[in-house]
Amino acid sequence: MFPKDMLSLEDFSREALEDIFQRAAYFKQKNPDNFSSLKGKTIALSFWEPSTRTRLSFEMAVHKLGGKVVHVTPELSSEQKGESIDDTVKTLQSIGADALIFRHRTPGLFNRVASLVDIPLISGGEGCYQHPTQALLDIFTLREKGIDLAGKQVVMVGDILHSRVARSHFYAFPLFGAGLTLVGPPSLLPQELVPPGVDYSYHLEDVLPGGDIIYLLRVQKERQEKGLIPSLSEYSALYGLNEERMSLLKQEACLMHPGPVNQGIEISAIVIKNLEQFYPDRILFQDQVQNGVFVRMAVLDLLLAGRSV
Amino acid sequence: MDLLLKGGILHDPVNGWEGPAEILVKGNRIEAVSISLGPVEAPALELKGKIILPGLVDAHVHLREPGGESKETIASGCAAAVAGGFTAVACMPNTDPPVDSREIVSYIKEKARHAGLARVYPLGALTRGQKGEEIAPLWELAEEGVRGFSDDGRPVMNSALMLRAMQFALVLGLPVISHCENLALSGGGVVHAGAAGYRLGLPGMPGVAEAVMVAREILLQQQVGGKLHLAHISAKESVDLLRWAKEKGVNLTSEVTPHHLLLTEEAVEGFNTNAKVNPPLRAAADREALLEALQEGLIEIIATDHAPHNPREKEADFLNAPFGVIGLETAFPLLWTKIVEQGILSLAELIKCLSIAPANLLGVPGGNLAPGMPADLVVIDPQKEGLVQPDKFYSRGRNTPFEGWRLKGFPVLTMVDGDIKMCDGKVKGFSRDFPAALENLLNNAKD
Repeated sequence: MFPKDMLSLEDFSREALEDIFQRAAYFKQKNPDNFSSLKGKTIALSFWEPSTRTRLSFEMAVHKLGGKVVHVTPELSSEQKGESIDDTVKTLQSIGADALIFRHRTPGLFNRVASLVDIPLISGGEGCYQHPTQALLDIFTLREKGIDLAGKQVVMVGDILHSRVARSHFYAFPLFGAGLTLVGPPSLLPQELVPPGVDYSYHLEDVLPGGDIIYLLRVQKERQEKGLIPSLSEYSALYGLNEERMSLLKQEACLMHPGPVNQGIEISAIVIKNLEQFYPDRILFQDQVQNGVFVRMAVLDLLLAGRSV
Repeated sequence: MDLLLKGGILHDPVNGWEGPAEILVKGNRIEAVSISLGPVEAPALELKGKIILPGLVDAHVHLREPGGESKETIASGCAAAVAGGFTAVACMPNTDPPVDSREIVSYIKEKARHAGLARVYPLGALTRGQKGEEIAPLWELAEEGVRGFSDDGRPVMNSALMLRAMQFALVLGLPVISHCENLALSGGGVVHAGAAGYRLGLPGMPGVAEAVMVAREILLQQQVGGKLHLAHISAKESVDLLRWAKEKGVNLTSEVTPHHLLLTEEAVEGFNTNAKVNPPLRAAADREALLEALQEGLIEIIATDHAPHNPREKEADFLNAPFGVIGLETAFPLLWTKIVEQGILSLAELIKCLSIAPANLLGVPGGNLAPGMPADLVVIDPQKEGLVQPDKFYSRGRNTPFEGWRLKGFPVLTMVDGDIKMCDGKVKGFSRDFPAALENLLNNAKD
């Protein structure tokens, strides 16, 4: 029922994802660190791209399941050559790793290297391609809050073009019945990118009133340097969530962000502060981080279940 | 040697021939063509059920030598050419070093002569080192025999430099072949900027990156005159501009590749590096526009842009794998099966695209089997069916997006300059079965 690897959510049926959520809920409810399903197992983590929360979250998940983590810090200089990653992957299997958790900036890389080994490869973010566990923990968080996604409208704002989170959600949100509207400047939201059945707009004000979930994506300084936006402040003026725009939202609409948040760009500091103080249930940023651990535990548990030590 | 080809159907549009014919080859020339030549003192090849065409001419191939011998050599590329029915190829100058001096042109010609298979017409660099900074020694290159100039693969971004280079090419009477791509607009892209590539998270090159340069070349050509040829047109926006140019009477030709005619961006699914090519495979609407342009005659030439790579290089990640697909050994059966048999072009129209027009562009003999012309011809077996099997290619490249396609119309005999270079799929000097295949053919001929 489960594929060997988790590279793209599209390889997983809704039933498989429900199993993951059920397992994650169980882990969260039991929380003490005395699970043993990864006891005696070693999970190799290679993050070729900077990451704090995803790496820590996976690491914590392995620990909580009783497994061991080995960090592979590849030489960045030799990493350009495809062969060296191939070698790394095969070496990790040979020395006894039971699963691989990778992050890399090259889309399509995992697809290729996963086929070189028998052990599972779990994506911790692959270029602009997919970030499956992020989408899973988002859905899990919403459902935990009692939000039934069927018929709800998700408004996703920001750098859609470079977002692997968005690409995972192109599958995940519709799978659970939610409508999706993408918002951003045309340079970061090419029309050809918009999947069938998904809406888009260049004007945040037009779509905010219809949103039940406002999903903010990180906009990086690099986009300004590449000339895709005039500047971060220009971006913020057009697409930042400020107090004025907050007034357009439905009363119960909640905010999500895959983190880390650029305060003052995607969302103003004052909006965050107000929400945290007066409407903590509407800002899910910390819930997402917390649930990340349990969802990743569930993924590890289920992908490794039944595999011999 | 002399040879009589009989029993086949000759398609020779330049001479208005479309029907049964006997062709007498004497030495390296066509001696006579007639429905019946009567008694002739020469071995006769029985070609019943076969089609005889003027040899195919590919205006755009990469033979990689010098400098890229692990991808292809002039000899292996020429073997691939005659295996695919091509009797002549024009090779692009993006070798290492590039073809920007007399010595390299002469080196290529010598290698081609030594290979002794297809005719090889070198193209010269348009700018020194193909760096787009100063005009290459065009006169020197022309003196040594190049048949055109191009910075293919490295488009000339400086419009003034392009204008000057076109002016000098005009004086020399040779075509400028432009790879139309605005590097700022295509910057970093590896696929078409469309749904399939975006879904995979791969950076895209939009059609307008090509079209703005097509527009520039058309406008420059209006100023300059001379011969302008636009390589591998792939975008519907470019087709609109070509239509405008033709209406204005601008003198230019253009080409399209078999892969852009037959595939769309979907071919990159699963990060298939054998579908990574520049310009990229585009959307269905682009492909339709190209097919229409071909039917209307807006695009006159089909060229393969045969771009072999060492198979190991194509095993890299999609982002890092080199651009390019090979085409010499698949072009004719692909076009026969998917274009002629589907009624998109007649065979006569296809011969124009694959033989007559490219020969005209290069200013070389070809596309004409009248008495007195060089005996460059190909025999097609319209019934011969087979699978595209990259491990059987004569090319060193295996990078085809058509692996496993079932096709018809494979060439069964290729003659260059009166000499049989390929017989029953076996290439002279490359296949140890060639002598036996040839002997078998000639024995039957003596019967």
